[in-house]
Amino acid sequence: MTSTVTNLTKIEATPRWRIINWKDQGLAYLFLLPALAGFTLTVWYPLLSTILYSFQKVNLNGFQYWVGFNNYERMFGNPIFYTAWQNTLIYVLLSLVIGFMVPIMLALMINEMRGMSTFFQMMVYLPALIPIAVGLLVWKQIYSPSGGILNSLVGLVNIPPQSWLQDPLLAKPALVIVLTWLGSGGTTMLYLYALREIPTELFEAAELDGFSVLQRIRYIALPLLSYRIRIMLVLQIIFVTQIFAPPFIMTNGGPNNATMSPVMQIYDAAFVRTDFGLASAWGVSMLVALSAFSILSIVLTREEPKN
Amino acid sequence: MSTANRGIMSHSEWRSPTGRLIALFYLFVLTVVSILFVFPFIFSFTAGLKNSLDVIQPGTSLWPETPLWGNYLDAWTRFGMSRLFTNTFIAAGGGVVALLAVSSLAAYSLSRLKPIGKNIIRAILLITVAVPGVVFLVPEYAIMAKLGLLNNFWGLWIPYSVSAFYIIVLSNSFDQIPKDLYEAAQMDGASEFHMFLNITVPLSYSTFLVIGIFAFIGFWGDFLWPFLVMRDPALQTMSVRLYVQTREFSLNLFMAASFIAMVPPAIAAVFLQRYAPRGGLTF
Repeated sequence: MTSTVTNLTKIEATPRWRIINWKDQGLAYLFLLPALAGFTLTVWYPLLSTILYSFQKVNLNGFQYWVGFNNYERMFGNPIFYTAWQNTLIYVLLSLVIGFMVPIMLALMINEMRGMSTFFQMMVYLPALIPIAVGLLVWKQIYSPSGGILNSLVGLVNIPPQSWLQDPLLAKPALVIVLTWLGSGGTTMLYLYALREIPTELFEAAELDGFSVLQRIRYIALPLLSYRIRIMLVLQIIFVTQIFAPPFIMTNGGPNNATMSPVMQIYDAAFVRTDFGLASAWGVSMLVALSAFSILSIVLTREEPKN
Repeated sequence: MSTANRGIMSHSEWRSPTGRLIALFYLFVLTVVSILFVFPFIFSFTAGLKNSLDVIQPGTSLWPETPLWGNYLDAWTRFGMSRLFTNTFIAAGGGVVALLAVSSLAAYSLSRLKPIGKNIIRAILLITVAVPGVVFLVPEYAIMAKLGLLNNFWGLWIPYSVSAFYIIVLSNSFDQIPKDLYEAAQMDGASEFHMFLNITVPLSYSTFLVIGIFAFIGFWGDFLWPFLVMRDPALQTMSVRLYVQTREFSLNLFMAASFIAMVPPAIAAVFLQRYAPRGGLTF
C-alpha cells in the first residue's frame, strides 16, 4: 500500500513528458509501424487524394492543374449521374424486398433442423465462398436466351422466353436475385449463431406457458435478434450501394444504362477514359451517400446487445 | 442448464402431429432453397460435359446424352488452370500471411504496449472500417502505379495486409489473454517480441485460423482490384482470367473451367463448418 502511495505522489510531481518511457513508446510504435505505413499508403492518403483529385485535372501522369468545381459540374451535368443513383436506390429497395427476409427465415429453419443442420448450413453458405466473377458468369449463362436453362424452365409453365438481362424491366430484379444468392449465406450464418446463443430456457418457459411456435419466434427469437437485424439492414444497404461486379460482368450496365451503377461510373471514368478527376468526384458522391448510411447505422445500433 | 439442445421447439413437440407438420414444411423449404443455391454448381458441371452445340441449345435436360469427360481435361490445359491456381494461391496465401503479420503486430501494440494516442488510433481505425475501398480506388491505383507495383504480387499483398476490422478483432481477442502469463515471462527477462511470438501467437491460434480462412476466401474470389493491378495474363488470378477469357473458348469448356474454379472454395466450406462457430468473429 505505502509503495503505491509514494509512487502516485512521485508521478504527480514529475512533468508528464518525463514519465513517458520513450524506449517503450518506440517499441510500441515499431509494432504499429507496418500497419500505420500500410494504412497511410493504401487508405488514408488515397482517401485524402480522392477529395483533392476531385478539384483537379489528373490523369495517369499525375496532377495537371486545379479546375475548381469543373469535375462536379460535369458529373451533375451528365444525366447518367441521376440514372446511376436512381438505379442504386432501386437496387437497394429490391434487395430489401427480395433478399432481406431470406437469411432470417433460413436461420430460423436451419436452427430447428436436428441432424441435418450442418448439411443445410453448408448448402446455404456455399455461394458465398466461390469467386464472385465465376459465379456471375455461370448465372449469366443461366439467364442467357441461348442455352440458358431459365427460359426452358419458365416455358414449362407456359411463360414465353424472356431476355432476362436485356430487358430494362427485368434486368435489375435478375441481378438482385443473384445478389441474394451471393449474400444470403454469410448473413444466415450470423443469425444462426445468434439464435444458438439464446438460452433455451426462454423457449422452454414460453412453451410451458402455452406460446405457439409462431409466438415464440415473434416474441422471443426476433426481439433478441433485432440488434443484429438492424446492423445487417445498414450493412446490406451499404453493400448494395457499392454494387459493381454483377452489372459489370453480367450486363455491362445495359440495357440502355438500366443497370448502370455509381461504381461502374468510377471505373469507367478512371480506367476507360483516364479522367481521374471526374472519377474522384464520383468517389466523393459515394463517400457522402455512405456516410449518411453510416450515421444511420450508429443511430440504429446505439442500443448495446444484452448478452 | 437444460439437458437437451433444443431449438425453438422442444424434442417432444417435434414429434407431435403439429410439430411433424412444421418439420416437414421446414424440410421442404430448406430442400428447395438448397437446390436453388447449389443449382449454379450443378448447371456449370453438366454444361461442362456437353458438346459445344448442345450447350447453347434451349431445353431443360441438364444431363447430356454422351457426357464428354474429356472437356474437363481440355479446359484444364486450355485455360492454363494449374497456373491460375498457382497465381490465385500466391495472391490469396501471401495476402493472408501479410494480413495476419501486420494486424497481429498492430493489435499486440494496441492491446499490450500502451502507445500514446492509442484511443485516437482506435477511433481512426473504427472510422476506416466504415469507409469502403471503392471511394479511394483511383488514387490507390495511381500510387501503386507510381511505386511500380502493377503486375506485381506486392500490389495485391500490400492492400490486402491492411484491415482495420481485423486489427480491432485481434486486439479485442489479445485483451482476453491473462496478464499473469506476460508478467511471468517478464520476470524471466523476455523481450516484447519474444512474448508476442511465444505467448500471444500460440494462444491466438484458433482466432488466426478463422481470420485466415475468411480472408483467404475473400482474397481468392476478389475481382476488381486484381483486375486493375494484374494486367499481365501470366500473373492473373482465377476470377480475373476467367472473366477476360469468357469469349475465347467455347461455352462448354468455359463452364467446365468455372466448375473447376468452384471446387476449392467448396472444400473450404467443409473446413469452415468445423471452425467458424468458435471464431468469435460475429458481433
